[in-house]
Amino acid sequence: MSAGVDPVTLEVIRHALTATAEEMSLVVMRSARSPLLREAGDLSSALTDADGHLVAQGRDIPMHMGVMSFTVREFLKRVPRERLAPGDTWFLNLPEVGGNHLPDVKAIRPIFTQDGIVAFAVSLAHWADIGGAVPGSYVADATDAWQEGLRIPPFRLFTAAGPDREKLDMIRANVRGADEREGDILAQVAAGRAAETRVHQIMAEHGRNTVVAAIAAINERAEVQMREALAAIPDGVYTGEDWLDDDAAGGGPVAVRVRVSIAGDRARFDFSDTDDAARGPVNTTPFIAAASVFYVVKALLGPDIQPCGGCYRPLEIVTRPGSLLDPGPESPVVGGNHETSQRIADAVFRALETTGSERLSAGGPTTSGLVLFGGRRADGTWTTLYEVHGGGEGARHDRDGMPVVRVHMSNVMNTPAEVVEAEFPIRIECQRLRRESGGAGRHRGGEGLHREYRVLADDMSVTSMFERRIVPPYGLQGGDSGAPFRVTVVRADGSRSEMPGKANLHLGRDDVVVVESCGGGGYGRPESMGPDTLVNNADKGSVQ
Amino acid sequence: MPNGWKVGIDVGGTFTDVIAVRQPRGEVRTAKVPSRTDDRIAGLVSALQAVGLAWPDVDDLIHGTTIITNAIIQGDHAKVALIATKGFSDTLEIGRQNRRYLYRLDLPPKLQPLVPAERRFEVTERLDHDGRIMTALDPDSVEDAIGRAERSGAEAVAVSLLHSYANSVHEQALGERLRSRFRFVALSHRVNPEAREYERTTTTALSAGVMPLAAAYLDDLDVAKPDSSRLHFFHSAGGMASPHVLRDLPLGLAASGPAAGVTAAGQLARTLGIERAISFDMGGTTTDVCLIVDGKEQITSDRSIGGRSLRQPMVAVESIGAGGGSIARLDHGSLTVGPESSGADPGPACYAKGGEWPTVTDANLVLGYMDANSVIGGTLRLDTAAARDVIARLSSAMGMTIEGAASGIVKVANAALLRALRRVTVERGIDGRSCTLIAFGGAGPMHAVALARAFSIGNVVVPTHSSMFSALGCVGARMSYAQQRTLRVTSEGWDAERVGRVRQALRTSLAAPLAAAGHDDDTLAVEEVAAIRYRGQSYAIEVTNATLDDPECLGREFRDRHRALYGFATEEPWELVSIRVRVSVARAGVVCPPVAGKVETPLPARTSFCAFESAGRMPTPRYDRASLTADSTLIGPVIVDDAWSTVVVPPGATLTADVDGHLHIATGIGT
Repeated sequence: MSAGVDPVTLEVIRHALTATAEEMSLVVMRSARSPLLREAGDLSSALTDADGHLVAQGRDIPMHMGVMSFTVREFLKRVPRERLAPGDTWFLNLPEVGGNHLPDVKAIRPIFTQDGIVAFAVSLAHWADIGGAVPGSYVADATDAWQEGLRIPPFRLFTAAGPDREKLDMIRANVRGADEREGDILAQVAAGRAAETRVHQIMAEHGRNTVVAAIAAINERAEVQMREALAAIPDGVYTGEDWLDDDAAGGGPVAVRVRVSIAGDRARFDFSDTDDAARGPVNTTPFIAAASVFYVVKALLGPDIQPCGGCYRPLEIVTRPGSLLDPGPESPVVGGNHETSQRIADAVFRALETTGSERLSAGGPTTSGLVLFGGRRADGTWTTLYEVHGGGEGARHDRDGMPVVRVHMSNVMNTPAEVVEAEFPIRIECQRLRRESGGAGRHRGGEGLHREYRVLADDMSVTSMFERRIVPPYGLQGGDSGAPFRVTVVRADGSRSEMPGKANLHLGRDDVVVVESCGGGGYGRPESMGPDTLVNNADKGSVQ
Repeated sequence: MPNGWKVGIDVGGTFTDVIAVRQPRGEVRTAKVPSRTDDRIAGLVSALQAVGLAWPDVDDLIHGTTIITNAIIQGDHAKVALIATKGFSDTLEIGRQNRRYLYRLDLPPKLQPLVPAERRFEVTERLDHDGRIMTALDPDSVEDAIGRAERSGAEAVAVSLLHSYANSVHEQALGERLRSRFRFVALSHRVNPEAREYERTTTTALSAGVMPLAAAYLDDLDVAKPDSSRLHFFHSAGGMASPHVLRDLPLGLAASGPAAGVTAAGQLARTLGIERAISFDMGGTTTDVCLIVDGKEQITSDRSIGGRSLRQPMVAVESIGAGGGSIARLDHGSLTVGPESSGADPGPACYAKGGEWPTVTDANLVLGYMDANSVIGGTLRLDTAAARDVIARLSSAMGMTIEGAASGIVKVANAALLRALRRVTVERGIDGRSCTLIAFGGAGPMHAVALARAFSIGNVVVPTHSSMFSALGCVGARMSYAQQRTLRVTSEGWDAERVGRVRQALRTSLAAPLAAAGHDDDTLAVEEVAAIRYRGQSYAIEVTNATLDDPECLGREFRDRHRALYGFATEEPWELVSIRVRVSVARAGVVCPPVAGKVETPLPARTSFCAFESAGRMPTPRYDRASLTADSTLIGPVIVDDAWSTVVVPPGATLTADVDGHLHIATGIGT
């Protein structure tokens, strides 16, 4: 059993550490300013051990899982441990340092006892703006990393004495909505401070050595659970692929390919055959690839495995330098975070289809469906409505898909029409189900969403960052694909044009943006009353 | 001719608790009888009989019930039609688009909508967020929608128009047209005048769905109740409500039972002068905890029951799935407890009704806390051997003694409960160590001291009638009504006139039923809570006793609260998001009589062996609770039993009974 900690103490400490991470998330969620933190938002909190291995996570956002388990370890490669002092909070957002994209800013607080560092608290929050070419910092036509906004290498923004004013001003000078960003920073620092208090209490109660041993045991336990889950898959090599609609720079679809090798209780996910890095901002990092792999394994095999560093030990994740998933520090990545991560998950799901299709759902809205409106309030300050759109869930072997949900890597809620209208110069003309958008099948895919936004200001910017416009959600076992995602701009003069999946546009008064999110794929042949024939629908969706 | 009896009856899923108090002499009678879901009226009558009363003897009956809660959880509601603004009738099905389970692909990601598409209808009309009419209500579309609602076979109609919280004129017009055609109509601005269309619509549809059930029960009560006897209900926000108000707003009963227990704890905190308390109500499958500050139970406006979002002011109870029946397992080197529960059937292994898994109750029996020789409630005999057998399976796998494993189960269960305590204190900016734990419910007094110690709490109170505390909450309730309304005003553009108007409107509508019950305006207490945030924040902070007529003062109160909660505050502009008003009859009604002051020193009824963490197994005297006299002090280890529950006082803790029969336990650590 586990490193000398009895099962009771282990569980008591696990509860206490998880409660600490939950408390951090609550502090950030309630006191930060960026609209994405709303409700179930785009934020995560984590505690790691002294070496940066994840121990507990506050809000379980699958996308951040991988990121949080690498951030501190990569940070420690850049910043020698000796430079850290009690009371420090370090900030960073570089994707290559255990990160994902620039808007997700991480605050790291080393937690000390007399014997040195015992843990790190990490608070990740998606800032509404991180500078760059357009409000909201989603630069659809970015071709390098510098166009995407302010790049923050690991730096000490707070010491025990308080903020480093010059560095804070440096950040303020480079982002829209400086006061609100400072509010985000204060919230993240407050979360780390809360975590430190709790960890000290836990140490005082159980003793440092017991807590350290318990942390090791928590990781060990998750590793064993993960090994058991993997052992349930028959040994073999499985391949799968999925396609991005385009490279966000005028090119065609881009492939994510995976070769999954299962050998006993270990698994290797080799993404080397994935296409080269894209010119546009749909690249992502190996950390996101790891997060996506972990999500699929957990969803298919072990929903109850505690997310922590130990889970990764039996998993080997290989990405090829220069590829879409390992592009190096100079490539733009803002959209890859939530779009390409979903492609990776779909590719792994498809690879494992032959190990049991009844475990899978047909293709769903594996895209953030992001439409981001930016503009100024009446008083001249910046504001952004960052709105993600769910679509129809993919059908399963035993039921239809449900309408308008988020699937897989994220679970962010919508903004109610009554809130949109009160806070932004926008009117929601309607929000309804997009009827007949679910793919036909023995079980039907769920319906997408139809929502219309009317601009009530003279000048707004709008950014799209979504997928499944060209490659629709796939059907399974002979089911039809769902209707693809579509966003249409209807100008005040009545002219209509379809908006590309990754674009920045200007809007004027009374222009209307019509969002029609994708329907889910169907499951099983629609007409068939008897046993379903095994038809692989994989190629059907390539290009229509 | 008044008889002086005031009776609180709390009808739970399994048992009905009843407390009768006779004023002014202060005679008290209590009973616990099985609940009767087949004939609720007969259940009330037999509860009264159990305390030797017939209904005509009762002046005031205050009733807590799970009838609405159960209907919601079991999806047992009437066929509802929904009428919504054109373009928005699918809101109910879209929801907030998030899924319930992150990693469960097999389970449906959300509940089916309360109203299916074929009973959702639209009318042409549109308001903006300030309540300005953009498109007037079109009478033809109204006629069409009502006609279709009739043909749909709906029994009740919910109306939820966009931005109706800011201007109710269109909903009122629809309501007038509907009432001549339907008996049950729920208008969203009446049910929940707050922004966010999904939550308001689903709350309104749920309200419509349980209206027929509530009406049927109220009709039955009207027939059965003697004219000389008054009937009141205990409502979710912690207070007494008239039956006719609940005909219109039946969701007021959605958390009736838990609210009554918390309210009783609040009364106790006021009586004993406890500034900060946590109510701790542990039962068989769930535990409810709630923060009480200055004798006032904290209120929330955002809860869900049975997976349905239910937005209205309710007692801010944090419920977790841990109780006496929670099952312990050894999973990969960790001892886990819950969330699975043995429930009431088969129940823990020691109930000898087929339970095969070790539960928290089995652990309590093995440790000697529960009396192996007693018969719970006069009917249930405990099987110690069965409890030891199931725990032995765990203990041998862990390499521990049976007592060690049992002690571990209790400790892990307490660790889960600690998270709930933390959520209601630390996360509300309150240092939990400064609170007193008020323990009641079947299992609360057994776990209270160990739990308090784990949270560094110094004082525990186990009140008189702790095993029927919700009924006590009912009998001591005062009449009150509360409502929350969206009102958006910024600190820079403060509109004193508008704020004043909304406050006055809320007060007037809430005071109306109180005035109808004969309470003069000057006997009413008004509490106001303001929800405020910095611009850009999503969550508003609640400022209690808000100074709403002075924005500068209000701003200071907001910043102080923000600092207490999050450790910082800035001088930026802020915005008022909503206000909540509660109007109550000023004084609580009932004082229980003191326990008769016996002079002799209590003697233990018997001695049993109990195992305590760090102290091991030792002979422990057991006292009958009824034998304790005012000011008797007992040094732990001691066990105090009554018919329905057990108070555990471990070594190092000290118990003192007071003149009212409340047991005060100093845990021996903390403040």
